[in-house]
Amino acid sequence: MPLVEIADLKVSFSQYGSQIDAVRGVSFTLEQGESLGIVGESGSGKSVSCAALLRLLPATANVSAGRLKLDNIDVLKANREDLARLRGRSAAMIFQDPMTAFDPVFTIGHQIAETILAHRKVGKKQALAEAEQLLGRVEIKNARDVLSYYPHQLSGGMLQRAMIAMALSCRPKVLIADEPTTALDVTIQAQILQLIKKVQVEFGMALIMITHDLGVIAETVDRVLVMFNGEVMEHGPVQQIFDAPQHDYTKRLLASLHTSFERSREVDTKIAPALELRALAKTFRIKRRKGLFTTYSDFHAVQPVNIVLPRNQIVGLVGESGSGKTTTGLMAMRLTEPSGGQILVDGADISHLGSDDLKSYRRRMQIVFQDSYSALDPMMTLSQIIAEPLHIHGVGSGRGQTEKALDWLERVGLPRNFGSRYAHELSGGQRQRVAIARALILEPSVLVADEPTSALDVMVKAQIIGLLKQLQAEMGLSMLFISHDLSTVKSLTDSVVVMYRGRVVEQAPTDQIFANPQHPYTRALLDAIPATNPRDKRERTFLTPDAIASQTPRLTVIQTGLAPNSNPQLVTIAPGHHVEAIVTT
Amino acid sequence: MLAFILRRLVSVAATFIIVSLIIFFMMHAIPGGPFDANDMPVSEAVRAKMMAQLGLDQPLWVQYTRYMWGVLHFDFGVPYQSPGETVTQLLSRAWVPSLVLGGLGVLIGAPLGILLGMAAALNRNSWIDYFASTLATLGLTVPVFVTSMLLILVFAIWLNWLPASGWGKPERWILPIIAYALIPLATYARYTRSAMLDTLNRPFVTVLRAKGLSERRIVFQHVLRNSAIPLVTVFLPMFIGTATGSIFVEAMFRVPGLGAYFVSSIETRDYPLEMALMLMITFMYCIAYLLSDIVYALINPRIRVGGEQ
Repeated sequence: MPLVEIADLKVSFSQYGSQIDAVRGVSFTLEQGESLGIVGESGSGKSVSCAALLRLLPATANVSAGRLKLDNIDVLKANREDLARLRGRSAAMIFQDPMTAFDPVFTIGHQIAETILAHRKVGKKQALAEAEQLLGRVEIKNARDVLSYYPHQLSGGMLQRAMIAMALSCRPKVLIADEPTTALDVTIQAQILQLIKKVQVEFGMALIMITHDLGVIAETVDRVLVMFNGEVMEHGPVQQIFDAPQHDYTKRLLASLHTSFERSREVDTKIAPALELRALAKTFRIKRRKGLFTTYSDFHAVQPVNIVLPRNQIVGLVGESGSGKTTTGLMAMRLTEPSGGQILVDGADISHLGSDDLKSYRRRMQIVFQDSYSALDPMMTLSQIIAEPLHIHGVGSGRGQTEKALDWLERVGLPRNFGSRYAHELSGGQRQRVAIARALILEPSVLVADEPTSALDVMVKAQIIGLLKQLQAEMGLSMLFISHDLSTVKSLTDSVVVMYRGRVVEQAPTDQIFANPQHPYTRALLDAIPATNPRDKRERTFLTPDAIASQTPRLTVIQTGLAPNSNPQLVTIAPGHHVEAIVTT
Repeated sequence: MLAFILRRLVSVAATFIIVSLIIFFMMHAIPGGPFDANDMPVSEAVRAKMMAQLGLDQPLWVQYTRYMWGVLHFDFGVPYQSPGETVTQLLSRAWVPSLVLGGLGVLIGAPLGILLGMAAALNRNSWIDYFASTLATLGLTVPVFVTSMLLILVFAIWLNWLPASGWGKPERWILPIIAYALIPLATYARYTRSAMLDTLNRPFVTVLRAKGLSERRIVFQHVLRNSAIPLVTVFLPMFIGTATGSIFVEAMFRVPGLGAYFVSSIETRDYPLEMALMLMITFMYCIAYLLSDIVYALINPRIRVGGEQ
C-alpha cells in the first residue's frame, strides 16, 4: 500500500468569475522511505499538488481527484480529526522562506512545542525538552538558547534548520519540502540539503522535494516528476531523466543547466578601464541603546576594496548575503555614498562630484536590479518607463523618445505593442527585459547587474542571461555582474571577484578561479555548487568561519616580495590572480 | 524595558513643553488684547497699572514661565466667560458629560467594531463581510450630525421612544451615545478587518495549518496577536481622541459638555480657558502615545528583545 496515492488530481481556482486550471490530471504514488522530486517552473502546479494533499489550498480552489490518499486517509473526505492526523503526523512540510514561515511573536521553542502538544498528550515541559532534542538533531549547537529565541534573532539558515526540527517533531511518514533552499545562499543551501537527506534516513521518512532547481533534484532524490503547465511531462528514475530525457521540455530544462558563452574580446590595456574602484569602503554607524544612553559603533560593510572593470568585459562579483557585494555595486553607481575611496569612470574620479556634474556620468552607467517588480513604476506604461532616461537627459523629441523605446522593446525580445501595457501585466522575465531596455537605452558604457536573475525560473533565467551577454557583445558594454549563482557566473563572466565579510578575498580570471581556487572561502563556495548530474552528488564538509580564517593561505616573503604581516592582505600569485593571504617570514 | 519607558517619558515631556510654547505664543500673536480701547475704554494710567498688576508688562518668556508654573499646580486662572469660578472648576464641571458620552461611546463602539472586523476578515466575501464593510463605510462617510438627525427623527419624533435632547437622566444618554459610538465602531471595524486579512495572508499561517493546529488556535493565538501589533498604535490614541468628546454630537443633542466651550472661548477671547483646553488635549494625546508605545513594545518581540543574537 503506497504512502501517497494521487490519481487524476485536478485543481482550479475561481478568479474574477472565471476558472484558472492550475493542475490538470496529475497522478503519482510514493512508497515508504522513497524520495521523489517534483521539478517545474513557477505556475507549473507542483506546489499546488502537494498543498492539495494536505488540504492547504484557499477556499477559492476547486479540487477533484480520482484518488487522493495519504497514509490510507481519503484526503477529500477527511474530517477534522483526520486532518489533524494528516497534517504533522502523516506528512510535515517545510517551506521556501524560513524568515516568514515562523510566527514572529512567539519563540522558536514555543512554536515547536506547540506542534508536539497539538498531536500528543504530553506536558508542556516535556514538549520543550523534546524540542531541544530535535534542535540538536538538526545540528543546532546551542539548542537550549535557541529555544528562547524569537525568529528575528536567527539567520535564514538557522531558521530553516529549526523549521526542519519542527517538521520532525511528530515523526511524520513523509516530509514535503517546498523549495526549501531557494531563499538561501549557496553554501547554506548545500548544508540544508545535506541535512534533509540525513534526517530522512535517520527518521525513515519518505521525501517529496519540490523545486525549480535541477541541481537540487540531482543532489537529493531517486525519482523525478517533471511538471509543466499543470501536467506531468515526464516521470522516471533520476539518473534516467538526466541521461536520457524523453520529453522536449525536460531536454530544454536540462540544456539550461549547461549554457556557455564565448568570452569577451581581449582587453586593450592602454586605455583607462570603464570603471575602477579604488579603496572604496562603506561604514555604517550602528546605534545602540544602553539604558538611558545611546552608544555608536561602526559596522564595516565594505572594507577598502579595489576592483577594476576593463572595457568590454564582464566581471562577476560573488559572495554570500551580507558580504557587501550589493553595497559595492550601489557605491560604484554613486547610489550609496561611500565612506572613503574613489570611483573612476573612464579614468575620471566621480566620487566627489555634485549632482549636476554627476548627471552626465549617470548616462554612462546604469543598473538593473534583482526585483523587477518593484523596480518598475506601476503607474507608467512600458514605453514611458523605457523612454524616461531619454527624457531625463533630454535626448531627442517626445515622439522620437517613444519610437526609440519601442525599438528597444523589440531589441530585448518583446513585441512593440507591449508599449502601452503596464508592468503588472508582465511575467517576471518580461519585466526584467523591460528593466534591461531602460538601463541600456542611453547606451551606457557601464552596466551594474545586481542579481538580475535570482528571482527567475531556470529557463527564463537562461534567456535573460543570454540576452545580457548578446547586448554586452553588441554594444561593447562593461558589466559588473553581482550574483551568488556560481554556475551563471562561470558561464557568463570573464573574471571573478569573491567577497567575504566586506573584503575581497580572491580575484582572478574566471577559468582560473574555477580551476584553481586558492582562498578557503572560494573553495567552500565552489564546493557548494549543486551537482548537475546525480552521478556527481557527494558528501560535503562545511567550513565554519573560524576554519576559513585559520585556513587563510600563508605565503613567504620570498614568494611574494612583500614585508611579513600577520594581517591578511591581497597578494598577487599569478598574472591577474590575487588572493588574500598572510605573509610570513 | 524600564529604560525604554524612561526614555519615552523624557520625549513626552519635551513634546508637551514644545506644544505648550507654540500654543502660548500663538495665543499672544492673535491681534487684540483684554484692554483694547473698543472693549474696555480706560485711561492710559489705569491701563498701565492693570497691565502691571496682571504681569502683562513683563517679557513673554516671564509670562510663559509664570503661566506654566501655575499649570503645574492646576492653576489655569479664571475664565472670562464665567468669572465666578476658576478654569479648573469649570473644566471639572463641564467635562463630566463629555467623558460619559465619549467614554461610553468608545467603550461600546470599539469592542463591537473589533468583533465585527474580525468576523468580516474570517468570513471574507460572505454576507457578514459585506455588511461590515457597508456599515464601516457609512459610519466613516456620513457626518455625525446627519446620523444624529436621523436618530432623533426615528426614535424621538416618529417612534417617540426616547427624548430628543438634553442630559441628566440616563435615557437621555442613549441617542447621543449611539450616534457617537458609530464613529469608533466604523473605524475600528475597518482597521481590524484589514489587519486580520494581512495576517491571514502571511506564510506562517499556512505553516501553522500544515502543523495540524486547530483553526481556532491559529486565529485566537497567532493571528489575533499579530494583528494587534499594528492596531495598538492606531487604537490607543484614537481612544483618547474620541473620549474628549465630540463638538457636533454635543451640539446636536444639547449636551452641556466641553465641546461648546471650544468654540465660545475663541469667540470671546477667553485665553485662560482656551489655553487650558488645548493643553489638556495635548497632555492626553501625549499620554496616549506613551501608552501605545509601551504596549507596542510589550507585544512585539522585535522591539522588546532587540535584533541582536
